[in-house]
Amino acid sequence: MDKWLLKLVSLFNPVFKKQGIDVSRMYAIVETKLMMDKRRVYMHWKQKQQDENRNHLAIILGVYSLFGIFTGIMIMIVPSIVLSMALVHGYIIFMMAMTLITDFSSVLLDTTDNQVILPRPINSKTLFMARLVHIMVYLLQFTVALSVGPLICTFIKYGVLTGIVFCFTTALSVLLAVFLTYLLYLLILRFSNEEKVKDIITYFQIFMTIFFVVGYQVIPRMNIISDIGNNFQIHAYYYLLPPFWMALTLEAVHDLHFDAIHLLMIVLAILVPLLFFWILTRFLAPSFAKKLSALNTDGVQTKKTVSGEKQSKGISTVLSALACNTATERSAFEIVWKITGREKSFRLQFYPSLAYIVVFIFIFVFKTGNNVADTWNSLPGGNGFLWFIYLPMFAVSSSIMIVAFNENYQASWIYHSLPIAKPGQLISGSIKSLFVKYFLPIYLFCFIFCLKVWGWQITDDFLFGLLNNAICFLSFALVAEYYLPFSRQPNTQQQTGRIVIVILQLILVSIFVGLHYLLVKRGLILYILLPFITAGCWLLVNKLRNIPWKKIAV
Amino acid sequence: MRIIQMQDVRKQYSGNYVLQGINLSFDKGTIIGYIGPNGAGKSTTIKILTGIISDFEGSVNLLDMDVRKDPVAIKQRIGYIPEQAALYDVLTPMEYLRFVGKLYQLEETIIEKKSMELLRLFELADKSSMRMNGFSKGMKQKVLLISGLIHNPEIIFLDEPLSGLDANAVILVKEILAQLKQAGKTIFYSSHIMDVVEKISDRIIIINKGEVIADGTFESLKANAHLGSLENIFTALTGDEQHGSTAGQFVDILKS
Repeated sequence: MDKWLLKLVSLFNPVFKKQGIDVSRMYAIVETKLMMDKRRVYMHWKQKQQDENRNHLAIILGVYSLFGIFTGIMIMIVPSIVLSMALVHGYIIFMMAMTLITDFSSVLLDTTDNQVILPRPINSKTLFMARLVHIMVYLLQFTVALSVGPLICTFIKYGVLTGIVFCFTTALSVLLAVFLTYLLYLLILRFSNEEKVKDIITYFQIFMTIFFVVGYQVIPRMNIISDIGNNFQIHAYYYLLPPFWMALTLEAVHDLHFDAIHLLMIVLAILVPLLFFWILTRFLAPSFAKKLSALNTDGVQTKKTVSGEKQSKGISTVLSALACNTATERSAFEIVWKITGREKSFRLQFYPSLAYIVVFIFIFVFKTGNNVADTWNSLPGGNGFLWFIYLPMFAVSSSIMIVAFNENYQASWIYHSLPIAKPGQLISGSIKSLFVKYFLPIYLFCFIFCLKVWGWQITDDFLFGLLNNAICFLSFALVAEYYLPFSRQPNTQQQTGRIVIVILQLILVSIFVGLHYLLVKRGLILYILLPFITAGCWLLVNKLRNIPWKKIAV
Repeated sequence: MRIIQMQDVRKQYSGNYVLQGINLSFDKGTIIGYIGPNGAGKSTTIKILTGIISDFEGSVNLLDMDVRKDPVAIKQRIGYIPEQAALYDVLTPMEYLRFVGKLYQLEETIIEKKSMELLRLFELADKSSMRMNGFSKGMKQKVLLISGLIHNPEIIFLDEPLSGLDANAVILVKEILAQLKQAGKTIFYSSHIMDVVEKISDRIIIINKGEVIADGTFESLKANAHLGSLENIFTALTGDEQHGSTAGQFVDILKS
């Protein structure tokens, strides 16, 4: 598709030449950048193995086309043209902005250009236009993928004229998304540094993944579309929202109804994106390029705050002393605590899995079709707190596998060069660290929530559940392959034992949930069982600690 | 013939001057060794000379052109090999060299021919269609060297060009530099490796805290400082003569 789009761009060659742009050099840059786009590792696929010979971009465009079909179906279902078009355009703006931030940010913020292109004989106008054409071609590919579904449905439902205008409103929406993204980057770069920008992008990526996970599971269970479709009314503040400018423009064209409000919306829909785009090309993009080129040439180093470092050291040191017996175990506890907090790749892989807690609770506690208020009122009468006790483990247990992967996996030579007799202590320290750092705070949060709903009588259940969860967590670590923390190369084959862990998760947690269900409100028996489960935890920790070198996977 | 001229060049970052009035000029066909401790301003000097940094004070002329007024014409005639192996490593060496060659507006047949032959000399011909993200630092450095020289530049700027190269490649690059000099090229060479600078440079410039503190041939520097090697001259001039006692303290701490 990119070649076809470049041919379209080449129609503007005379204009480029008139502007003093070196067309052949511009295309050399754009073609190379587009080739690199096809080979990049995309965020949605980061957790899976990527075959470097496959065109990842084509796969993602396919997925976006699929999303486009869903929005097309929505156009067919929703009776109001204003609502359906506002939703579609809002969705396009959101998806384009998110795509720009999550997947294209590495291109926008790539300072390699400073080393590779700046020393070559390229004038600044050519370089600027090459960047702009690259971004536009990249976005056009996504725009076509996202809007082909809704476009076909618009043609079918609202006719040819509305369909044609839809093409323009979509393009204008994309311009808005580009402007908003640049504005966001500039704001962040204005008040912060490159490292901070990358941090913020990581959180956007996490948000994007959570959005997909939650959206995929939860939205189909809610009757939002039909509900708002039936009770939809336009409020005055809607006129401030760009998707409604586009939607009302389409309504005006479809109904051939051009009153003052509709005319105002048409003017806003056309002028604002074009004005923003002019501001972008005239001021924002050059200023952004200047800021970027300064990132690598001014030699500014990122400095982490000392207070943050000290605090982190304090917490992990204190907790490791409480949770671990040996110096090796304590070291592993602290290093896992610190690196998991600082590594973007760990956060990117693990945090979205925490979103499953929300999804599972929603699915199990607030069942489909039931009224949320009724469900909420009936909660204290049931044993729904058991979900809050056992569901967090499903999400947190993924950290056991994720912690083995790291970009700097080669640094794990240090374990092998040290006089460590029982490498299992590195694994047990790591597992304890993950449990304390990620499971306990979530569990505590669930406990506080359940206290509010069910009252103090669930305290012994949470105490019993805590030890059961510890048994589960340790068991998962024991059946997994024994990798030392941060010692595996990312994107290598997933563990062969992964399916075993998933099955074990289901069986073990189901057994504990079943057992616990039978013992609910039988506090005395729970307390009698506590020492036995504690002893079980101790045995499992010891088993982990005693894993010998020959069982460590490399 | 003066091929490079720098007059009172100053550069500041946030009010902090990293170059404090550099005045230098170089003749055609010389190898200039540019050395200094970390943070002395070596890379900043090279980035100014190559037109990467344009907001500096003073004036810089290369090949009788002002680097701020004619950056494109100057860049067409110079080559730059940066310190880090910064290249697009998702590309293959051939794709990367094709891209760089096009930016220098070389004909495609020439790019293909030259690239393949140069890759062969660096023993990378069999890897010419493999993506560079699996390459070692030394292999990437070789591709970087080719990309900076493929257009046969008149002035060559090298910022730590030997980093990561194996022993054979180091010898080869040293020999290439010597032969480029014979071919009339001017070479501006920045490095930490004193013995290489000592051996290949016609003129050695030592920079410290943004100022030139020594300038001359190795023999003249040696005569002035009454010291035997460039390493000793460097240590004496940059004022960091505590290496012996620092090493002693290091070992003492290890023993404690």
